[in-house]
Amino acid sequence: MNLLVDRLSSNFLPSFLAGMAVNFEIAGIALALGLALGILLAFARLRGGVAGIAASSVVGLMRAAPTFVVMFFLLNALPRDAGLSGVMIVAMSLVPYAAAYIADSGVDALRQLRTGSPLACFLILPNIARAFFVLVMSSSAGAAIGVPEGVAVILRQAEKLPAFGDMLVLFAIGVACFGMSGQLYMGENGPACMSIARQKAIS
Amino acid sequence: MSKLAPPHHGADLRPHRALAYTLACVLVMAAVLCTGLPAPARADNSPDAALARLLDSARAAAAAPGRCAQPGIDRLVRILCIGRIRVGVRDDYPLFSTRTGTTRQGYEVDVAQAIARKLGIDLTFTKVKAATRIPMLADDSTDLVIATMGDNTQRETQARFIKPHYYRSETMLVGARDLAAADWENIRGLTVCVTVGNGSNAELVSRGARLMLFDQAVALPARLSDQTCTLAAQDDSFFAYYFADPSFAARFSEKFGFAQIPWGMGVARDGSERLARALDLMSQIFHRDGIFLAAARANHIGTGFLEQQQSLWGRPECDTDTGTTDPACILPPANAELQPTSFAGSVSAFETWFAGLTGFDLLLPMLKTAPAWSLFLNGVFNSLVLIAGALSATLAFALLFGAAMGARSRLLRWPARGVTIALQSSPILLTLVIAAAIIHALVPYSSMVALGAAIVALGLSNGSNAGQAISEAYLTLRAERAGLPVDHIELFSRALSRSVTQIAAFLINAAKGTPIASFIGAPELLSALTDITSFSSGRATTYTLLLVFYTAVVIAVVWLCRRFQGFLERSRAAT
Repeated sequence: MNLLVDRLSSNFLPSFLAGMAVNFEIAGIALALGLALGILLAFARLRGGVAGIAASSVVGLMRAAPTFVVMFFLLNALPRDAGLSGVMIVAMSLVPYAAAYIADSGVDALRQLRTGSPLACFLILPNIARAFFVLVMSSSAGAAIGVPEGVAVILRQAEKLPAFGDMLVLFAIGVACFGMSGQLYMGENGPACMSIARQKAIS
Repeated sequence: MSKLAPPHHGADLRPHRALAYTLACVLVMAAVLCTGLPAPARADNSPDAALARLLDSARAAAAAPGRCAQPGIDRLVRILCIGRIRVGVRDDYPLFSTRTGTTRQGYEVDVAQAIARKLGIDLTFTKVKAATRIPMLADDSTDLVIATMGDNTQRETQARFIKPHYYRSETMLVGARDLAAADWENIRGLTVCVTVGNGSNAELVSRGARLMLFDQAVALPARLSDQTCTLAAQDDSFFAYYFADPSFAARFSEKFGFAQIPWGMGVARDGSERLARALDLMSQIFHRDGIFLAAARANHIGTGFLEQQQSLWGRPECDTDTGTTDPACILPPANAELQPTSFAGSVSAFETWFAGLTGFDLLLPMLKTAPAWSLFLNGVFNSLVLIAGALSATLAFALLFGAAMGARSRLLRWPARGVTIALQSSPILLTLVIAAAIIHALVPYSSMVALGAAIVALGLSNGSNAGQAISEAYLTLRAERAGLPVDHIELFSRALSRSVTQIAAFLINAAKGTPIASFIGAPELLSALTDITSFSSGRATTYTLLLVFYTAVVIAVVWLCRRFQGFLERSRAAT
């Protein structure tokens, strides 16, 4: 382990922490945009009629769109003068997921409110916290387009490590750090909540 | 008599003497012919004499009354009429052609000045870019382009390239000094930053590099510095400027070069026959006399090619007025032609029809050339294999983790639970990289191995979550039947039915995650289309089609999962 510490770049830890901050930044932007769009879609679905059908179709498409492909689509299909940074492209690519998830949770919450269960309506808040953690994890896709987030920093460092064992230890440190960030948000049932959040986002 | 005898004798001798004189004169004349006359004959055959004759005739044409006002005269005559040549150069290519205010400098600027001096006329520079240099020749905005233009078979149909070439570059891979990347074997799987449309991208793709595309070459050094790219690939001429900076040279080094391409000056294909011929001869003379080489040394660019060319053009067999057409003396253009598909014409016609109908430029590069079509078909096939594999692996790992986490033995339950927590804590991208690293440590890398690693990683990541749902359903069923005799297989089967919603959700998640496999080099559709767009146009259309493809596939998987879910729920209701 000491050898590994010796082999890590002196700026690895600050770079990694800065990278994790980028993950949180991306997740924050995606969640804010997803909330705005998702709540609109939830109201439209509850309203029914043409607006409801259109909103349901849009939510269905957003659920089906793979985040990674959306990211490459935004990177390559948007006009260059759109001026989106790498961080914004990753955040925008997560918006369909976040908006669809918020729309589903929002519909549940609004129905609870209408049936006279305001406390059940507030269950949307922990759902949003779970979505945030899923977004933090998913923002690592930014490594594929050169965004300097946490996983990108780990991968860059791993390329410089000559020993396979050291590389695996480094990966384990990365997994532990991402896992801990989830625990901070969701307590000790974090991973289980995450699986539920993932499931809810799709179903 | 005796007095007469000599004359007589002399008279007898006179014809012999005359013959001797005649022979001597013939010999002298022959000697003169052998030594003196061949000199002018050889001068006639030299490029210098050919150039002098050509310029004399052009000057005579330019001096002829009314000739300069005639339309359609050759550009050489027109240039001599005006007394000025317009040369298109770049503004921003360090060491080759840069502009600071009104001052231009660089190797190509020096070459342009040498040409103007040789012609005895003035020089006007016009600014060209990579995209405008050939169109500006065609619309007569400039007479000559000297602008880092690689000579390839495709461009030969658009401009007349001057032979011999005035420079040659190669694509150079540059990376951190401590990175071992001496040959192609070390490149596989590494992130290489390139510019879109670079002709050497196809070679990098075929060698297994993971390309990251940029519009401008100037972005590459910065992306190397912030470690976004492991390597950057671009012309060695481009990196020459950056290696002149000691801090850049201390951090990065050239790994190896490939895809050599000769650079040519260009003139318009029409109306430039005599100008092109004059420039051919000048270029030949500049090589032979070391004028190109001196300009290169003055501007601190690589001189290996120019030294080799100076030696070549000094040889008698090349130093003639026909040397510029001798295949043994000149370099062929780089072959940039991609074999078209049998239906490329129909695709182009469809693109034109669609643009006329809608006003949108729909470009379908994946259908037009044989290499792109092959990559596209393989990408679609591999994507479908990957999706089928990821779904099967997710189901298999779900059953395995479900059984292990629902087992009474802690030896089975705890490790399964630990692995599940680790997988749930790892971003899917990291899980993929870890799976790829482990599998590559066991077996040699290949694209199929990468595909396998992606299937295992997606299966593990989603299967562990689905398995947790199965085990939770199993435990609740066991609690409900506490005290009753338990048939474990029957109970597990009921647990599957109870958790079918979550299983279906994670199957869909696995299908949605498959494009991420491109990150570890799996040759699925995203990876294939990125490769195609790296050497062709139509990125917007290509990625739009990609999004439609994957969204449609996921919708199909959702539909299938719901059918499967319905089937299981009906089966449960029936029992």
